[in-house]
Amino acid sequence: MPKILIVDDDPNIRQYLAALFEDHGYLTVVARDVAEALQTAQDERPDLITLDLDLPGEWGPRFYRALSQEPELKSTPIIVISAMPGSRYAIGNAVASFTKPFDREELLKTVGETLDL
Amino acid sequence: MAKTVLLLEADSSHADALKIYLGRKQAEVHVAATDEKARGLLASRDFDILLGNPYGFGEACPGEVKRHKLANPLLQVIIFCPRALMDQAMDDFGPLAANYLDLPLNSKALGLALDHAEKCIATEKKLAAYSQRLSDLHDAQSLYQQLFNEVPCYITVQNKDLRITDTNAKFKRDFGHEVGGFCYEIYKHRSSPCPECPVAKTFYDGGSHGTEEVVTSKAGKQYNVITQTAPIKDENGQITQVMEMSTNITQIRQLQDHLSSLGLMLGSMSHGIKGMLTALDGSIYQLETGLQKEDRTRMAAACEQIKEMTERIKKMVLDILYYAKSRELQYALTDVRELAETVVSMISPQARHKGINLVTELEKDLGIIEMDPNWMQAALINFLDNAVDACLFDPKEKEHRVVFRVSPRDPETVCFVIEDNGTGMDRQTRETLFTLFFSSKGSQGTGLGLFIANHVVQQHGGSITIRSELGEGSRFEVCLPRVKTDHARLNAVPQPHQNVAF
Repeated sequence: MPKILIVDDDPNIRQYLAALFEDHGYLTVVARDVAEALQTAQDERPDLITLDLDLPGEWGPRFYRALSQEPELKSTPIIVISAMPGSRYAIGNAVASFTKPFDREELLKTVGETLDL
Repeated sequence: MAKTVLLLEADSSHADALKIYLGRKQAEVHVAATDEKARGLLASRDFDILLGNPYGFGEACPGEVKRHKLANPLLQVIIFCPRALMDQAMDDFGPLAANYLDLPLNSKALGLALDHAEKCIATEKKLAAYSQRLSDLHDAQSLYQQLFNEVPCYITVQNKDLRITDTNAKFKRDFGHEVGGFCYEIYKHRSSPCPECPVAKTFYDGGSHGTEEVVTSKAGKQYNVITQTAPIKDENGQITQVMEMSTNITQIRQLQDHLSSLGLMLGSMSHGIKGMLTALDGSIYQLETGLQKEDRTRMAAACEQIKEMTERIKKMVLDILYYAKSRELQYALTDVRELAETVVSMISPQARHKGINLVTELEKDLGIIEMDPNWMQAALINFLDNAVDACLFDPKEKEHRVVFRVSPRDPETVCFVIEDNGTGMDRQTRETLFTLFFSSKGSQGTGLGLFIANHVVQQHGGSITIRSELGEGSRFEVCLPRVKTDHARLNAVPQPHQNVAF
């Protein structure tokens, strides 16, 4: 089963995404900030990461840069889910970018297509 | 000499001789040979010189001449009479006559007397013109003084040392009567001149300069002012003093601040609102799927979440409303214990739900305080909310607790302490946490809560002391005066004519 790492500082949104993905047959792990996300990514080797950009203390794009330094992790696809407009440009290689509140079906479709490749 | 002379002489041959003599001196001569004629001439026109023997007419004549002279101070009177009457004449006229001549007239003496009279006339005319100008000047001066005083700006006149040498009435009313103090001392309570002083610049280049400043009145009230300067020069064109005019634009600035932060708020708000809506979407999804799967645990969790999101959205909307509509505080005598208990009852379900231990320590005798209970309650809840969040966001696994302690510091002051052992704050966070839209909570904060809490405490004339170390937790101490202070009265938000409302 593909594994998705959910990075978001809002516990309600983490829970929402986890429930949504699990209901559709994915495994999930969650992280609430950049440090935790990096650690979890290394430990769990997720197949896909959803990333919020506005995290407490640190800034989502920094996580992306740190991730790019890790040879085993740098090709992990990232989907940005953020309240910030224009987030498409914040993470250069993101597979897709969703603005909160996002369309559930669209997100599932993008996740499905990305993991099928 | 082109003067008009009234010649009083009853003796017609003497009068004719004098008329010829005066005519040679280019005088316009009118002869009065009788009382009647004299009276008629005096009544009909003004003369420069009255020359004559008032004792050659009726008894009333000297008196009439005297009265006429008193009524026309410019008229020069030259009396001639027989030597025997001279004493009498001098007694009658005294200093009113410019000259006394014996009969028979000596033509040299008459010539000198006429020349003297002419000089007197010229001098007196000049004097009259000067006095007229002086009184005009005086009128103008008092007009300018009045303008200076009534201009709806603060005006100061300053010398090179920036000492105030003159001020207008409006300045005196708000900044005091003392002249001689330094501008920077009186306006800004500074001990050295302000950087970019416009007065100094005007002394340097003679131009007009302007700045915008915040000044503090003698009552401690702060005003935003726009200042403009103008040089005052002496007759050599040297700048001796500089006038500084300051227009009070506090109301405009307040309105502008309010409008711009309102705009800023709506912009930044959208971010938080989007997060909340997403979370609400999530709860609805959980509820729907819970129903489909008949999973009671999921449904219950979803309901909890919906409740929490509704609370958060409600609080945010109320915060926006508070800020959108600045209003006067509604002071009421409030029981401190009752207030504290209400606050605790509102925060404890949330704390319990999140697994944070809320410890309440209320001293027995807390007494009464003068405050707006609604806003103070909202402010205290904001501090407690923050403490709960600080525990929630703390990655350290430990038993998190929030302490709410209320005690009188002295008979006049009540202190509310909110202490947590959560994340704590670094210096930058400590220094910026009361600014509008500052939030350390990422998408979950609006940056309004502590801004409003601080605003409410300031409005009450209270103080907030913060102690916090990153990783060690934070302690907020809010101290409030029991009785509404003058400071609170001064800080009362001015009511704009039109409130912005949603």
